[in-house]
Amino acid sequence: MINESRRKFLKTSALIGAGITGLSTKSVKAEPKYVLDENRMGVLIDTTVCIGCRKCEWACKTAHDLPTQPIESYDDRTVFEKMRRPDAKALTVVNEYPPKETDQFPINVKVQCMHCDKPACVSACIVGAFSKEENGSVIWDTDKCIGCRYCMVACPFQIPAFEFEKAWHPDIRKCDFCFDRTKEGKLPACVEICPMEVLTYGTRKSLIERAHQKISLYPDRYIKHIYGEFEVGGTSWLYLASKDFHELQFPKLGTNTAPGVSEAIQHGIFAYFVPPVALYALLGGVMWINKKKAESNKNKEVHHE
Amino acid sequence: MKKLIIIILFLAPILIQSQTKLNSTHANLNLTCSNCHSCTIPTKENPCLKPCPRESLIRIDQKPEEGPRVIVIDKLRDTDIYAPVKFSHLAHAEMADMTGGCRTCHHYNPPGNVIGCSDCHETTRKRADITKPDLKGAYHQQCMNCHRSWSGKTDCNDCHVVKEKADLKPVKVKDEKSKRIHPEVKAPEKISFNTKTDKGKFVTFYHNDHTGLFGLECSQCHSNESCAKCHSQIKKPAEIKKSFAEQHKKCSSCHEVKTGCNKCHSNKESGPFNHKISTGFDLAKFHSKLNCARCHTTPSKFTGLIKDCVTCHGTWSWDNFDHKKTGLVLNETHGELDCESCHKDKSYANPTCTDCHDDLTYPKNLPGKLIKR
Amino acid sequence: MSENMKPVPLPRRYFTPTVIVIAVIAAVGLLFVLARLIFGIGAVTNLSNEFPWGIWIGIDVAAGVALAAGGFTTAALGHIMHKEEYHLITRPALLTAMLGYTFVAVSVGIDLGRYYYIWHPLIMWNGNSALFEVGMCVMIYLTVLYIEFLPIVTERFIGRVNLPGFFKRFNVSLDKLLRALDRGLDKTMFIFIIAGVVLSCLHQSSLGTLMIIAGPKMHPLWQTPILPLLFLLSAMSVGFPMVIFESYLTSKSFGLKPETNIMANLGSMVAPLLGIYLSFKLGDMVIRQTFVYLTEFNTASVMFVIEIVIGVVVPLRLFLSPQIQKSPMGLSIAAFLVIFGVFLNRMNNFIVAYNPPYVFQSYFPSIGEISVTAGFIALEILLFRAFVMIFPIVSVPQHSGTKAKFSIRSV
Repeated sequence: MINESRRKFLKTSALIGAGITGLSTKSVKAEPKYVLDENRMGVLIDTTVCIGCRKCEWACKTAHDLPTQPIESYDDRTVFEKMRRPDAKALTVVNEYPPKETDQFPINVKVQCMHCDKPACVSACIVGAFSKEENGSVIWDTDKCIGCRYCMVACPFQIPAFEFEKAWHPDIRKCDFCFDRTKEGKLPACVEICPMEVLTYGTRKSLIERAHQKISLYPDRYIKHIYGEFEVGGTSWLYLASKDFHELQFPKLGTNTAPGVSEAIQHGIFAYFVPPVALYALLGGVMWINKKKAESNKNKEVHHE
Repeated sequence: MKKLIIIILFLAPILIQSQTKLNSTHANLNLTCSNCHSCTIPTKENPCLKPCPRESLIRIDQKPEEGPRVIVIDKLRDTDIYAPVKFSHLAHAEMADMTGGCRTCHHYNPPGNVIGCSDCHETTRKRADITKPDLKGAYHQQCMNCHRSWSGKTDCNDCHVVKEKADLKPVKVKDEKSKRIHPEVKAPEKISFNTKTDKGKFVTFYHNDHTGLFGLECSQCHSNESCAKCHSQIKKPAEIKKSFAEQHKKCSSCHEVKTGCNKCHSNKESGPFNHKISTGFDLAKFHSKLNCARCHTTPSKFTGLIKDCVTCHGTWSWDNFDHKKTGLVLNETHGELDCESCHKDKSYANPTCTDCHDDLTYPKNLPGKLIKR
Repeated sequence: MSENMKPVPLPRRYFTPTVIVIAVIAAVGLLFVLARLIFGIGAVTNLSNEFPWGIWIGIDVAAGVALAAGGFTTAALGHIMHKEEYHLITRPALLTAMLGYTFVAVSVGIDLGRYYYIWHPLIMWNGNSALFEVGMCVMIYLTVLYIEFLPIVTERFIGRVNLPGFFKRFNVSLDKLLRALDRGLDKTMFIFIIAGVVLSCLHQSSLGTLMIIAGPKMHPLWQTPILPLLFLLSAMSVGFPMVIFESYLTSKSFGLKPETNIMANLGSMVAPLLGIYLSFKLGDMVIRQTFVYLTEFNTASVMFVIEIVIGVVVPLRLFLSPQIQKSPMGLSIAAFLVIFGVFLNRMNNFIVAYNPPYVFQSYFPSIGEISVTAGFIALEILLFRAFVMIFPIVSVPQHSGTKAKFSIRSV
């Protein structure tokens, strides 16, 4: 009796398991909520040009109504002594990597949201508060957010920041590619202020073209790698650098999209609700058969008596 | 085929028109079209210019004084938070004169005069053509490269004043054409290098030989050098071990550095370049006033000439040689002889008298009268 | 034997010294919950932009869901497989699951930055999100669990509705309502029971999918595309051990005779489940060649080894031993090890394995976080005790031999 039940149980669980693995390995294509626009915009950051004046930080804060020190104070270079990350109070920061051996200058790297083509945050957000817009921006809807911070877990660049100190209505904050400004035809604040034009604003396509051109024109100046061209399936913001991006603390990421297999698995388990319904039907069937068997057993027993 | 003819017919006037203009500018550039243009038939509408910079292609150098003395950079005044910068063009041109000349900043010049930044670089940052930076970016990329290596600082207020604090009076530019701003850089006569090699510790570098005698341009050696070469305010990092190639980089473009060590390296300080000692051909007599290129016609190639006069002068005859130039006016008898009658060897050095005269010898007896050369 | 077992309320003195200690822990936890509500998450927890999720998600939610798996595994065994002898353990298992999931929901609530928007996923859907799936399933399953529990409530109160004072007038109508509910549920309960099992399978596995999106941020020892399967298998393996352990504790606490037979039977089913789980876990490790990370000596490798050896291999061996099968004590020790293993696995997956690219200060839970987690577990125990005393949940031998009138409805 016990053996039989165990066998059945195992059979069922094995079936469930097989079903799930079978579906997860099959790549079920996730239905995108958005269609990537051909002419979506992006920014090319040439780290070999950046001088670390941090005007972008000031412009960003000013454009997003965040509290900021006066612009003159941004000349202070002691902030570079330790590595900083964007947070809820500073959506972009510039870091400095001291010159090594033959380098003439330190390398400054501006950090902000990469605005992935296939963003993990958009995929992850439980309420769909994140969205990839037609112009390339990945933005966040404060009215939907419930503050679960799954976007922060998902982001491969560790970008979304949360207002942990707020007890009431904390926000997720991250670079929004100045969505409100670009909507009005303005440039993103950091792009506009950058004195060196480290940041080039243009369609992603033209930026990649330009980046390749720069690399071939100045092979001594750049390494042959545009960070963001293929990383996590492509990002709207792209980087050029004179040395390996790993040395500049860029995460080493593959070319698979950031949501990775998670969407495939998700849609595998839920492919048009077929697997759950099938499981339901299966369990219903098993239940019915077992009940019948139990009844007939009982009847037999009664009969014997 | 028909279409092609029509196109050619259509294009002909344009081509001819542009061709006529070319005569004044393009033609004397000594360039092939493909240096600048990516297509075979560039037109005015579609010049299909190759992307900037094309510094290696066209070179127009002017003297610092020929350019403007001060430029007020006010093209961006509407959008900028800073007041226009008064840029001392002359001072910067003088500094650039010590390195790459105009090209240090004017990295691309079409035929004609040196052109300004805003001729190519757009003032608006939001633009379709992103192959070159906008004007603001172009300025800063140009300036910061030197300023940063010179002072190590990137402070905006080194050059800028915020609008509110700026003195908005029009700039008065005094016309002082004669006065230099940057003191002239005095080139050293010689530099004695104390190298680490055992064989030939000393390398005596005669700077004036290279600039004067050999006619090298400053920028041929001093390229990509910024003000920091002299003015650096940052302490230089400890000397790094350079490779052989790196150490000899500057010399190796002319000198054979791999084999000819003892040409430059010696155990004691050596003297300046001496044509007689180095090559065996004495310039002192008749060639001292010539510059090297007069004989060494291939640029920066000084070897391969044969000492014989014929190499340069051809065979001497009364038609191409005036004996007076040697300081000896021949008397009538000798004035009618062929050169070879007296000068037996190819060097045309001392004459042989014994063929005709038994008792006369040169220079004891002269075939004419000495004059002062 | 089960014929004369009947679930009844167990009237005892509620407060014993142990219960008082547990109550104090619960009270401290609640104080910190209050602090979190007043001063914010940042003030109470060690969470940061680098470590957005801590033990409130890793333990309270992830481990909580896994350890409440007893509900669906026993439901599958007792009702779907129709093994009537197990019916007497389905009620305690159901109660554990119900309380467990309730606290999962409460924990999610306090961890959410905007807890007052917890209803948002109901109307704002994102089908791509694993978290959305988990959220929806947990919400629906929680409802199903409440529905499954309703017959116990009706059984307790039908004919015994006795509201005080003003509410007296509603007594009759309430009794009628309960009867109607009871009749309706009797006919439809099978729908909910199957739904409960299906929903559990879905969200137990989706809980594994949750961390897949963290990609390279997660240590390769744990990061694998078959995480959902591993989560489901481990949840299935921990279901019965949870029932065994809790049945043992209840019997000790209430001075009853342990259900040795049923415990042994359940125990015999644990080993194969654990075996399947272990083989998938090790197989995955071999295929992805992640065993190389075990040669390094760090927190991750040590935790992984503890998780596998103490949490899976040792209990697997114990459950296979005939001596252990005979001893309730031995069974519950083995069961505890499985529980520990799954608990550790969830914590490892969500906390130890999480290794973001930029770390300024590594994460260790704050006093506040630990207090809240401990407090919720304490509350759960207190409520379990209270429910067992009020409702007919634990079966005790009946001398009268009368058949239970309201047992849980099965088809």
